[in-house]
Amino acid sequence: MKFVKKLQDSIESYSDCNALCINNTFYTYHDFAIEISKIRDAIANTVEDSEKLIGLVTNDDLQTYASILALWLEGKAYVPVNPSTPIERNHKVFELTETRYVIDSSKTSIYKDYKVIASGALDDTDINLKPKHVSGDQIAYILFTSGTTGLPKGVPITFDNVNALVNAVDVEPEFNLVPSDRCLQMFELTFDFSVVTYLFPFLSGSCVYTIPKGAIKYFYIFKLIKEQKLTVLTMVPSIINYLRPYFPEINAPDVRYCSFGGGALHSDIAKEWSECLPNCKIFNYYGPTEFTVYSGFYPYHKETHQKAHNGIVAIGTPQEDTLYLVVNKDNEEVPVNVTGELSLGGPQITPGYWKNEERNAQSFFVREENGRKIRYYKTGDLCFKDEEGDFLYVGRADFQVKIRGYRVELAEVEFHAKTKSDRKVNMVALDITNALGNAELGLAIESEEFDTEEIFDYMKTKMPDYMIPGHVKFIKEFPHSINGKINRKELRTYFDIN
Amino acid sequence: MSKEEILSKVKEAFVSVLEHDNFQLADETTADDVDGWESVTHMMIISEVEKSFGIKFKLMDLMNMNNVGDLIRTIESEL
Repeated sequence: MKFVKKLQDSIESYSDCNALCINNTFYTYHDFAIEISKIRDAIANTVEDSEKLIGLVTNDDLQTYASILALWLEGKAYVPVNPSTPIERNHKVFELTETRYVIDSSKTSIYKDYKVIASGALDDTDINLKPKHVSGDQIAYILFTSGTTGLPKGVPITFDNVNALVNAVDVEPEFNLVPSDRCLQMFELTFDFSVVTYLFPFLSGSCVYTIPKGAIKYFYIFKLIKEQKLTVLTMVPSIINYLRPYFPEINAPDVRYCSFGGGALHSDIAKEWSECLPNCKIFNYYGPTEFTVYSGFYPYHKETHQKAHNGIVAIGTPQEDTLYLVVNKDNEEVPVNVTGELSLGGPQITPGYWKNEERNAQSFFVREENGRKIRYYKTGDLCFKDEEGDFLYVGRADFQVKIRGYRVELAEVEFHAKTKSDRKVNMVALDITNALGNAELGLAIESEEFDTEEIFDYMKTKMPDYMIPGHVKFIKEFPHSINGKINRKELRTYFDIN
Repeated sequence: MSKEEILSKVKEAFVSVLEHDNFQLADETTADDVDGWESVTHMMIISEVEKSFGIKFKLMDLMNMNNVGDLIRTIESEL
């Protein structure tokens, strides 16, 4: 597998460079190679060839990162579980994937029912980074996201999928990491965004800086930027929402690249943030877990590239080998400037949800183009393509709600509510079901209470009355999911309208 | 303001954000020792403390705040 071979080459070539900085301790690529070799040796000696899916407890340490590479060199997949997630859910993940082996660097493992490879206490061995042959359709990792039925939903990503991601980012001339780069890795390894924050630095001999569990994330990131002079940032937009009150104090001239993903990036905050990073290229990446992290980006620039819709920065164009198609309910392509559901085709597409035929039938379709059959994934995101070929994000398909029979885009309500507010606070529009089973609009505001009359007067000049929220709730701090996205489901529970 | 008075106002801020008082605050207390004190609630506690003391922290101070003792010292320096 090409990208695994490239990882080997990089680790061998940059053995004196730092690979990881974890809790103020630096580890070189040589240290990394030793740890990878020990773990792969243990895998080769304990796990049968036929056993391909291996559990991984995602601690914040050298062994956990080394385990990922060790598994790939052995042609196996990692099934990550977060040690702070309830153990019942982690058991469920292992049950669904029929995982029998778990790599765990914890001092004492709580995974007694599995065969545990204690990666923190292995014997020394010779360095061996030569990859075993692996067929491209084998799985490289499986991540689980919350499913609507309450059962976690597994997304398997193959070695071919990861290889296609690496190819696509490699041919992108705007983004090139070098061994002197210092890169932020702020994500849980159970979140797919983490794949790009460790993989690309490791392929380039750069150093990855992690966030210790228990640290105050927002300030720790700033501390790393300031003291370690990070050069590459990859983050979700909610991070800069929290840092926003302190922007005037942030000036980080060393940052070369800042990539956003995993949520809508608003143009007002992007502009303010870019003032803090005077020498930085900002990328607004788009891509779902089902399409191997990234599928394309828009190169934001506060003066030259500010394309946005309803205040949300454009998602730009698809990357190498990826196809974007905006479709209607019958999976037919819609014309330019018409909103539909964004669907993605190309070599990064997952083979399908793990053992979930029903869901697969809904989320994927095949379309014939120039005599070729192309399989598409329906993202659930509403977008349109403009005349210049850029794609613009409109909202989630499931955020398009019906109020009194009218279709309402929640993002549009939020946009108008925020436009008139001189307070820089978060606002989220929600559909709330009343006692009669009808949807009503609510507006959640992340703030102390204030007078909203001006905001509502303005909204009434911009939108029809059915789009004006009938309920307002002030919430000091919005609930977030573990991945840093606003938890809309929980937010809804704040509204008691009956 | 005495250190005890500061500590007692800080505790009020913690209780109002975390919605429980099942903790003791001493100089060496960290987020690990208090149920519910993590990244997001920390931001709320900081803003609550700023309000009740009428001060505004600097990012430089916040980034080096590792325990309750650091928090108290920073408040003292701002008063």
